[in-house]
Amino acid sequence: MPGGLPVAEAVERAQANLESIKPTCSAELLALLELCEAGYATLGDGFDDSALEGLYAIAVKGIGAGEVCGAPPVDIALTSFCDLLDHLRTLRRFDRAAVGVHVQAWRLLMSPGVPKAGAEQILEGLLKVRARYAAEAAAAASNAA
Amino acid sequence: MALDASSRARFNLEKASILLLDDTAMGMSILVQIVTGLGAKQLYRCNAYEMAQEVAQTHEIDLAIVDALAPSGQGYDFVQWLRRETQEPNCYAPVLITTAHTPTSDIVRARDAGGHFIIKKPLAPIVLLERIVWVARAGRPFLFTGSYVGPDRRFRDDGPPDGVGRRREDLVKAEAEAKAQAEGEAQPEAEAPPERSTG
Repeated sequence: MPGGLPVAEAVERAQANLESIKPTCSAELLALLELCEAGYATLGDGFDDSALEGLYAIAVKGIGAGEVCGAPPVDIALTSFCDLLDHLRTLRRFDRAAVGVHVQAWRLLMSPGVPKAGAEQILEGLLKVRARYAAEAAAAASNAA
Repeated sequence: MALDASSRARFNLEKASILLLDDTAMGMSILVQIVTGLGAKQLYRCNAYEMAQEVAQTHEIDLAIVDALAPSGQGYDFVQWLRRETQEPNCYAPVLITTAHTPTSDIVRARDAGGHFIIKKPLAPIVLLERIVWVARAGRPFLFTGSYVGPDRRFRDDGPPDGVGRRREDLVKAEAEAKAQAEGEAQPEAEAPPERSTG
């Protein structure tokens, strides 16, 4: 009897294990979302690096859980959010609407039964917002170099 | 070369000592579920840089799966420390770095930490397994320079050497050749002009 596991069986077992933690994972992701919403609610009008860093620290912890919770678009939205926060911090700028739309999208994408087309539309919008600051941050980085 | 998720090829992580570093309960839980599903049994679960340091100083490890620990990026510091400060064999241990997001300011740090691979979250079991198999097979040389200690970053996976296929491909090829040969042997008879009657 050979030792070890066949690849197919191992991958299947790992997927089944992940399925078993789906409820805990969903609860923890929801708790992070609530923290993020609370943090967003306290943001002022101007650039506040430590506040943006705080939001980043919350959002980054959620990436990877969306897939496990059966909501993979959440991971994409959170990655976009982290990119945005990183760009804003690099540019030392603040855009309440851009931050807010990401927080709201996170909430929406966590809702059960979001249609695939709707999720795609939300993500498309987020990526456009992110892209606006990505170009500026890249230009700033190349000017600094 | 991608690992086929339906492959019947076997691998064994049962006796491997694996250090896991992730500072979130959810991140650690996901990682543990994946690696135990892949058959690993000896896990050192570390939720902080200092804890991982202690494990690396007191136990021999065969593999480390280290989260970058954003936003502090302490995971990169741990890998750098592992490469520079620990005794053999741990300083050469295969290291997979997982990251949820890499801020622009950490890209160089990530590149120079000394990990074998950086894997973007969400983690998929097949991807993690594929990287583990790559690390085990590749045998990348180690570099010790003033600014970098770790596996050579200039590498690529070219697949098997020229003229050598994978076993499954060899089998398919051999079967095709055998079939062609069998057909080839049969064909001349069919295509041979009818023998003239000399009678």
